[in-house]
Amino acid sequence: MASSVSSQQDKVLVEANSFARIITLNRPKQLNALSFQMISQLLELFLVYEEDPNVKLVILKGKGRAFSVGGDVASLVRDMRADDWRVGANFFSQLYKFIYLIATYSKLQVSILNGIVMGGGAGVSVHGRFRVATENTSFAMPEAALGLFPDVAASYFLSRLPGFFGEYVGLTGSRLDGAEMLACGLATHFVPSAKLSMLEAALCDVDSSDPAIISTIIDQYSEQPSLKEHSVYNRLDVIDRCFSQRTVEEIISALEREYGHQSDSWIFATIQTLKKSSPTSLKLCLRSIREGRLQGVGQCLVREYRMVSHVMRGELSKDFFEGCRATLLDKDKNPNWEPSKLELIDDARVDCYFCKVEHEEWEDFKLPIRSKFELPPYAIAKL
Amino acid sequence: MDRASQRTQILANHLLQSSPPSPLSSNACLSYSPPELSENYAFDVKEMRRIIDGHNVEERDWLFGLMRQSKLFNPKEKGGKVFVSPDYNQSMEQQREMTWKRIEYLLERGVFKGWLTEKGEAVEMWKFAGFEVSSIYDHSLFTKLGVHFFLWGGAIKFLGSKHHHEKWLMDSENYLIKGCFAMTELGHGSNVRGVETVTTYDSNTGEFVINTPCESAQKYWIGGAANHATHTVVFSQLHINGTNQGVHAFIVQIRDADGNICPNVRIADCGHKIGLNGVDNGRIWFDNVRVPRENLLNSVADVSPDGKYLSSIENPDQRFAAFMAPLTVGRVNIACTAVYQSKVALAIAIRYALTRRAFSLKPNEPEVLLLDYPSHQRRLIPLVAKIYAMSFAANYLKMLYVKRTPQSNKTIHIVSSSFKATFTWNNMQILQECREACGGQGLKTENRVGHLKGEYDVQSTFEGDNNILMQQVSKALFAEYVAAQKRNKAFKGLGLEHMNKPCPVIPSQLTSSTLRCSQFLVDALCLRERDLLNRFIADVSKCKAEGESTQQAFLMCYQLAEDLGRAFSDRAIFQTFIEAEATLPAGSLKDVLGTLRSLYALICLEDVSYVRYGYLSVENGASVRREITKICSELRPHALALVTSFGIPDAFLSPIAFNWIEANSWSSD
Repeated sequence: MASSVSSQQDKVLVEANSFARIITLNRPKQLNALSFQMISQLLELFLVYEEDPNVKLVILKGKGRAFSVGGDVASLVRDMRADDWRVGANFFSQLYKFIYLIATYSKLQVSILNGIVMGGGAGVSVHGRFRVATENTSFAMPEAALGLFPDVAASYFLSRLPGFFGEYVGLTGSRLDGAEMLACGLATHFVPSAKLSMLEAALCDVDSSDPAIISTIIDQYSEQPSLKEHSVYNRLDVIDRCFSQRTVEEIISALEREYGHQSDSWIFATIQTLKKSSPTSLKLCLRSIREGRLQGVGQCLVREYRMVSHVMRGELSKDFFEGCRATLLDKDKNPNWEPSKLELIDDARVDCYFCKVEHEEWEDFKLPIRSKFELPPYAIAKL
Repeated sequence: MDRASQRTQILANHLLQSSPPSPLSSNACLSYSPPELSENYAFDVKEMRRIIDGHNVEERDWLFGLMRQSKLFNPKEKGGKVFVSPDYNQSMEQQREMTWKRIEYLLERGVFKGWLTEKGEAVEMWKFAGFEVSSIYDHSLFTKLGVHFFLWGGAIKFLGSKHHHEKWLMDSENYLIKGCFAMTELGHGSNVRGVETVTTYDSNTGEFVINTPCESAQKYWIGGAANHATHTVVFSQLHINGTNQGVHAFIVQIRDADGNICPNVRIADCGHKIGLNGVDNGRIWFDNVRVPRENLLNSVADVSPDGKYLSSIENPDQRFAAFMAPLTVGRVNIACTAVYQSKVALAIAIRYALTRRAFSLKPNEPEVLLLDYPSHQRRLIPLVAKIYAMSFAANYLKMLYVKRTPQSNKTIHIVSSSFKATFTWNNMQILQECREACGGQGLKTENRVGHLKGEYDVQSTFEGDNNILMQQVSKALFAEYVAAQKRNKAFKGLGLEHMNKPCPVIPSQLTSSTLRCSQFLVDALCLRERDLLNRFIADVSKCKAEGESTQQAFLMCYQLAEDLGRAFSDRAIFQTFIEAEATLPAGSLKDVLGTLRSLYALICLEDVSYVRYGYLSVENGASVRREITKICSELRPHALALVTSFGIPDAFLSPIAFNWIEANSWSSD
């Protein structure tokens, strides 16, 4: 029988069910935005479950219409007084610890993405073994429009999407539906939301941690959704030609050339989106994906932590604060980016984000030690 | 039975047998434990990579990424990771087509933008980086690009004049024209001055007439000629009014835009090779092919419309040397590339040695990791030191080349010859050692190390046979010596300034700290070079005194010449290491480089010449070897960090470098 237990912190609900544990993000009004406390609690739970021989499977889902919109950036910005970047750095350090644990988890994680999945929400699901999308799923990495860049080791998973689709998703913040997530590999399964409760029940009956067995069970509830007619995933050839270019400037010129050949409104909209985003963010995002493509997940996090620490310090650019102001706080949707143009940001300036932060209290992100458990091959492959 | 149910049954069997374990079944299965989780990095590997790659790191990663993400580069998933490598099981024709498709793909992405039309250090360095990265994927890709950009494009740039540049470079950069380079003949390879192709001038039509007079004059090994090239640069004797003016270079179209071979040109295939089957090497015959007068690449010599020979360089030797200019950049490129193949092989061998175990020291103990055997350390870690030394030397060579002046041409020629020969020989040695260190797994093509031997063997032959290049080095040193004596002047250039100082003395007893002192190591390497140069001079003089010609004397003193060439290379490479080390701030990175620097020099001191000529006593020779083993065990904890710093992405290594158990599991086949 399932035993249902609410933790003291009701923003993360836990249900123990024979060999499965169901964790529900329970902050529906904020679309399950992850606060520092929630992240710490999740981290704690995952660590306990890893030690517990009675746990074979962790199911992660969200209450309400979102799985999670990611880190609770709005309150983070409020909490960070003008000069205190440490609060921000601390937040990301805790989040990245959790991401690394997920990416190298010795047990199986099934994330049920029945709603909005953004930024950190993608981070706490995509690195896990199974990601179940539904007809309600809406995925995006919108950080570049916010003056940030896709972090949570997104540089690892975006860079490994087919061709240069990852660059497209990361730079434009374009939304993907469940079918598109499955097609590009961000999701491992597509299950109609009507069948989710049956799927959960079936997973709770299993006493195996063999991914092949779990996959077969999810398969029983899965469908092969078809891509909608105007899906971006049908535009891979254009995306590959343009988003494989070396620099953001060249990507935009390639899109403009492409628009010259075929006056396609999707290409036009893509160009407009890029032109509206923070130029600094675009450059950081592109470089991050390009480096991440050749790095393990741990090295991606170490690098992203350097980058995000620089962003929090705001010495190189204050676009993150400006983006949050314009999008989340004042909501005037009219950010004033500085530097305002791509041409004003040279390679040397971008390089700075990839260097250590020169501050006595700052240190590189230390990857948690993961040699205690025997890692499954799919986790080893990410190192 | 399908795999899933078979697997379920195996699992079920395991569970059913879970009764008390019998003593016979107590052995646990081997499991792969990733070195990333057990080995620590004591220094910043990204910073180290930046230092040894030296330039264009971001562009390199872009190019790696372009190849990693394209189906054309044949990605294969093994053990949960993606690896890209050509399918060498394809037929020669298929491999050639794939090489060409890969070039087209990179062309469309703008990789070659500016490679022929832009000038300056920045684009030249990026070009070198681009070649290094493409070679890490596949030597055929590298070679086909090298022929087009460095040989064909280089010939037009260096040997042509303004109108040639305007007419050919942009179209070549965009591959509207596909070039090749017809120098070598069946009968003449290294001795280019002996080629038998003959060109005459017909002043009635204003055309050159190019002819292959005999079978030994057929152009041979011409990369690109068999399938794809539309144009070639032909090296031919130029006969004007009955006088042979020596070797000159002409542009000849060999195929039309549709790929049909032009009239009076015959082309045949060189056939299957031990490697580089993705390059269409061909043989060309010219049957009195007529080309316009403008097709003579005329930067050093020209023929007027009425058929007069005009040259700005009177001396035929110098004129010939000028024609060899395109080969110099090729040599620089080959030398640098060889270092990267060594990096690929060694990163694979070291990673494998950090995960593969063999034999227990005591019964019931776990087996020992290969790299924890001192003998295995001794095989691989000195090669790591060699690669670091060669990396610095390669960066020095590239800088020397891109900052070239008319005065530095001689130095570039000597240093590039010496480094090209040394690096490519080292590469073959390293590949062989790594292949053996990977045992049977080294023999699988997918694991790369063994296969690379066939692919890279050619490096000791093309763009100058290694032995001949090294003879040129010793001859040049001889000439320096004679010139200094004649003019009673100090040595200047080629790093020979140490000859002006008193001869260094090796201490009679070498302690550990002396053996790691860079001054001592420099002294020891200079001492050998100096002494061998003196001996070479003495022996050549003796031969001449006995009535031999200078040429004959050189030939007879070949043993000393070879030892001297090696002594020069080792010392010159070491100097670049010391210089690179000196630019770094104190810290963990500099410390580990200091240890590698000592190890590199000590393996040079282990060379038989040190005992043969008595620079080291037998006891000191033994001290050197002892110190090498000590340093190897000191560097053992850094092994993973040192090869990670090579910056070769995982996808360009091979399955045995990672989870080789999973890669070979039943379910991943």
